[in-house]
Amino acid sequence: MKFLLRLAWKNLSRYRKRTIITAAALAVGLGAYIFMDSWILGIEKESERNLVWYETSSARALDDGYWEQKDRLPLKYTIDEPEAVLGWLAGKKIPAAPRTVFGGELIMHKDPFLEDGSLTLRVLAIDPVKDDTVFRLKETIEAGRYLEPGEEKILIGAWLAADLGAEVGYPLTVVTRTRDGYYQTIDVEIAGIFNCPNPAINKGTVFIPLDTADRYLEMNGAVTEINLRLPEREDADALAAALESDLAGVAPGLDVKSWRDLAEDYLAFAGMKKSASNIILILVFIIAAVGISNTMIMAINERTKELGMMRALGMKDSEIRLAFLLEAGGIGFIGAVMGVVLGVVLSYWIVSRGVDMGGLIGDMDIGYRVHGLFRGAWHPEAMVTAFIFGIVLTVLVSFLSTGRALRRGIADSLRYS
Amino acid sequence: MKRLVITALMLIVIPSSVFAVSAEEIIRKLEENTVFETSRVDGDMIIRDRFGTKKSSFISYSRGTDDMLVEFTSVEEEGMKILRTKDELYLFFPEAEETIRMQGAALKESVIGSDMSYEDMTGGKGLLASYNVTLEGTEEVGGYPCYRVGMKAVRRDVPYYSQTMWIDTTLFIYRRVHKFSRSGKLLKNITISEIREVSGRQVPVRMVLEDTVKGNSSTEFIVRGMKIDIPLDPGIFSLEELSW
Repeated sequence: MKFLLRLAWKNLSRYRKRTIITAAALAVGLGAYIFMDSWILGIEKESERNLVWYETSSARALDDGYWEQKDRLPLKYTIDEPEAVLGWLAGKKIPAAPRTVFGGELIMHKDPFLEDGSLTLRVLAIDPVKDDTVFRLKETIEAGRYLEPGEEKILIGAWLAADLGAEVGYPLTVVTRTRDGYYQTIDVEIAGIFNCPNPAINKGTVFIPLDTADRYLEMNGAVTEINLRLPEREDADALAAALESDLAGVAPGLDVKSWRDLAEDYLAFAGMKKSASNIILILVFIIAAVGISNTMIMAINERTKELGMMRALGMKDSEIRLAFLLEAGGIGFIGAVMGVVLGVVLSYWIVSRGVDMGGLIGDMDIGYRVHGLFRGAWHPEAMVTAFIFGIVLTVLVSFLSTGRALRRGIADSLRYS
Repeated sequence: MKRLVITALMLIVIPSSVFAVSAEEIIRKLEENTVFETSRVDGDMIIRDRFGTKKSSFISYSRGTDDMLVEFTSVEEEGMKILRTKDELYLFFPEAEETIRMQGAALKESVIGSDMSYEDMTGGKGLLASYNVTLEGTEEVGGYPCYRVGMKAVRRDVPYYSQTMWIDTTLFIYRRVHKFSRSGKLLKNITISEIREVSGRQVPVRMVLEDTVKGNSSTEFIVRGMKIDIPLDPGIFSLEELSW
């Protein structure tokens, strides 16, 4: 065995150029894989984070009739006594924020706007005092200011503001329906413009104070949802289920949905994207595998004579194969180490710096809740996988190619040119 | 001098005679005048907005207060039908060969880009069943003396909480209607600019509907031909025949 190891090492150093080229091909493939995996994972993680921070919260309490009708944004299924629920949650030290969601048509007029127009969108009525204990909208105000209770003001997203040519102080009218179904108009002034990293919120949602909405929509204190910030996002499903049963004693007839339930459409979409991303990763692997196979086959072919000589001198086929496998393993090891190092360097860059895709994507909806800077995330499992795969792949390719060479007769091998 | 005295007397006498009718009576007479046993209307809808002017043609059939079928005949919307029954509103698109029941938020959508929403076409229920009415006085609209009737909703299934109607004191047809949001903002303004006699009944034949909140568009309805109390196949108001 020692002899075989020495032989493998000698061959590695003897064919230095070939070793370096093969290992470099493997390293580039593995490095590209680690980099791509890190970037996709980073986008997914950031997207999920932005979803929870700006859109769904960790979990949400709703009237049990609401969920089925959610797409119609009904004001019929409400939490009529939110204070009881909020009080109970406060006792459990769970940050919570009530909201009322309704559909509306935003009407704007020429002067000060660029032209007359209207836009149908989702209006979120938020409690300006409690909302930032759950959501992070307040931190994203880039012009003007955040909302204050009771005022007839509105917050709009930077993308929407750019499309409309809106500035702080511009007047808007929201045409909607009261809880009873009558047409209602709410004249508001833009208090602030937010630039939220979640594009879904940035372009299609506006915010008004909850008590203002309560007055105009005649909600009598009812809200459509109470959003919760739970300590661990991963455990949200279990926590939501536990909260639902606990809340039954406080306010019967409430559903508690985790962020995964609330974002089921997004998660289905992300799942599809993940499959597509995996295909890209597999392609990267295949390209690497083809490169390595090619180099290994060439290496073994050009050494067919040497192989015949070794067999003529009395070496067993299994020993010769093992010597080649050890040599290939050595190349795999060097390539895998180089690949992981390359992957770590590229991942470090994408994790710490990111790539600003804002200019390329613009306000296009790519489905992910990310905009602007796309960062990566560290993924040690992928690095370990790439490392092991790199070695296994080269050994496997070498095993197959040596098999072919060993099937030749000794005389044939010696005559091979 | 004699003329002055007569005018003064008229000013004193007419308002008191005018107020002799109650708001409920005025609305009842209005509904008698505007609701027909059956009718067929050939008309045009002219939509004016910031993009220009668009004309659509339609034929509408009605039966009583509940049933109405509108079929568009202009090239762009040809074959599109809207059926209103007592409680429902359906839309048929010939290209998709599909009938859609309009409900919820869909009812707020505009009818082929006009200032009229599908919801404006619902509500066959009588006005007195849906609104508390008050006679607020008399005013002239376009030179015609009108009763000004204020209306406040008593039901929750009507879209407008309050309305004001200016109803011609002699023809008992509204000359102007204002529809308000719950907070009192004027949402829609309907003005009748022409009334004509059809089969011995006075009917509005030219009407302009303005969305006063958006403010940049109007829809004019013009009746080109109208037949009243004619025999109609009852099947045309059925969902089964909507797609034929």
